[in-house]
Amino acid sequence: MAVELDTIKHLCELSKLNYDEDGLKKVMGEMSDIIDLMDEIKSFDLEYDDTKDGCEIRFCDTREDIAEESAPTDKLLSNTEPSNNCYVVPKVVE
Amino acid sequence: MDITRAKIRDLRRSLDSREIGAEELCAEYLKRIKEKDKKVLSFITVTENEALQSAKRAQKMIDEGKSSALTGIPLAIKDNICIDGVRTTCASRMLENFVPPYNATVIEKLNAEGYVLLGRASMDEFAMGGSTQTSAFAKTKNPYDLECVPGGSSGGSAAAVAASFAPAALGSDTGGSIRQPSSFCGVTGIKPTYGRVSRYGLVAFASSLDQIGPIANDAYDCAVLLNVICGHDRRDATSARRDVPDFTEKLGEPIKGLKIAMPKEFFSDDIDPVVRTHVTNAAKELEKRGAVLVDCSIPGLKYAIPAYYLIACAEAASNLSRFDGIKYGFRGEGRTYDELIRDSRSRGFGEEVKRRILLGNYALSSGYYDAYYKKALALKQEIIKEYNDIFDIADVILTPTAPTPAYKIGAQDNDPVKMYMADICTVTVNIAGLPGISTTCGYTDGGLPIGMSIIGRRFDEQTILQVANEWETGFVPLSPEL
Repeated sequence: MAVELDTIKHLCELSKLNYDEDGLKKVMGEMSDIIDLMDEIKSFDLEYDDTKDGCEIRFCDTREDIAEESAPTDKLLSNTEPSNNCYVVPKVVE
Repeated sequence: MDITRAKIRDLRRSLDSREIGAEELCAEYLKRIKEKDKKVLSFITVTENEALQSAKRAQKMIDEGKSSALTGIPLAIKDNICIDGVRTTCASRMLENFVPPYNATVIEKLNAEGYVLLGRASMDEFAMGGSTQTSAFAKTKNPYDLECVPGGSSGGSAAAVAASFAPAALGSDTGGSIRQPSSFCGVTGIKPTYGRVSRYGLVAFASSLDQIGPIANDAYDCAVLLNVICGHDRRDATSARRDVPDFTEKLGEPIKGLKIAMPKEFFSDDIDPVVRTHVTNAAKELEKRGAVLVDCSIPGLKYAIPAYYLIACAEAASNLSRFDGIKYGFRGEGRTYDELIRDSRSRGFGEEVKRRILLGNYALSSGYYDAYYKKALALKQEIIKEYNDIFDIADVILTPTAPTPAYKIGAQDNDPVKMYMADICTVTVNIAGLPGISTTCGYTDGGLPIGMSIIGRRFDEQTILQVANEWETGFVPLSPEL
């Protein structure tokens, strides 16, 4: 199934990715081939049964919701552009 | 001291008997990396200073009689496992300068033992690939043939062990990323049962499939490492509250009467004849040693690739949405918040990562969710059922680890479909959350390793280690010439 340009543009919007015109054409071709491969799954005729989910792998062992000491703020901010213990981001509201 | 394909247990004896000191041993590995890794490119970062300092601390532990299995043992760690204060890039421009402010749980466990970090092993970007050629920093080569790929995504870890740059390494496995490079590089690697090892501090690719595991020179050393890294962790809600056995306990026990299933779909014409022949011959050898071979079928394998890629990419699209250039990672440019995020992601991620994010969002988007994502979940249930049926009649399952031996660098470039299909032998193990180990079962005429996988029941790593160990007894591995 060939993926249409509008679909790719929509996916780029969802994914927050930019492509130039040539890049869009290239990725459209690649995604068409990939989705052809994914389409094989449509011939599998069983339906998902959510009542069975978690029977095989059951992990719901959440810890108590108690505030604990976290990593120091300066360490957490060391990977970004910090300013007065805040992240610096572009102006959002004009 | 000759460190070529040195085993952890032999190094332990040498360290404890003072035949060699921890600093001297560490220096031997660093020297070899410095001399030879220019050809292989298995490391993104070599942590020379940290290595020598931790070796010194390890020697102190040994001198005080406080050594344990991994005290003073040098290891390579895949570059997607967070280490406090050590650059962790995931082989991506997105995390080129990221220095984690905390340790992954597996690193805390290794630190408690007094291990020595040699460096960060290369990988496919965000663990997405099977060749280590999507790495933004070190496109690793296969030590057995530098024109071939080492496999992936833990290609740096596997190549480092094969090239004797480290006696063992940690990797991660989402769809075969420990087992397939172990197969291509002629070493042994185990993906533990989902939930066996804490994922806390592993940079997430697909959270329902990811699992950390060891790569080493043999099954015994994998067991030694597993003994250290397994166990429940309150910081990972998917880590299982299960007792951790001594994984070396069953090694050396005879396999007489053990039932080994060989699903016919794993031996079809899609598998390279040289791989099929070697794996079948290995099965016959195990039969001679007392195992019982059982024919069986796993029809769901036909749909395994789309099921795996739909689930993995859907989870990846969600997990990688955190990379926005704000809190950490590559920061692009933009006059608005939206422009900044788009530019950061578009320039920070490589092409394969972007393709998988697009596919994941396609599978999850309105109008396609039922047809793709829910269908993939149905397949997951079916594959789990089919594996359970096989384990009603057999103790372990034997398959090839990959359809082919290592292929030439560039052979699968620009062909994502071909690249995805190459994962056919490994992905169902992740889908079903089972443990699987790959060990070398032979070599091609050109000297490239061929791997076979042994798959076990959930939380039965002991039996697959036992079978792999039995096979390795008497098997003489070839070391690559570098």
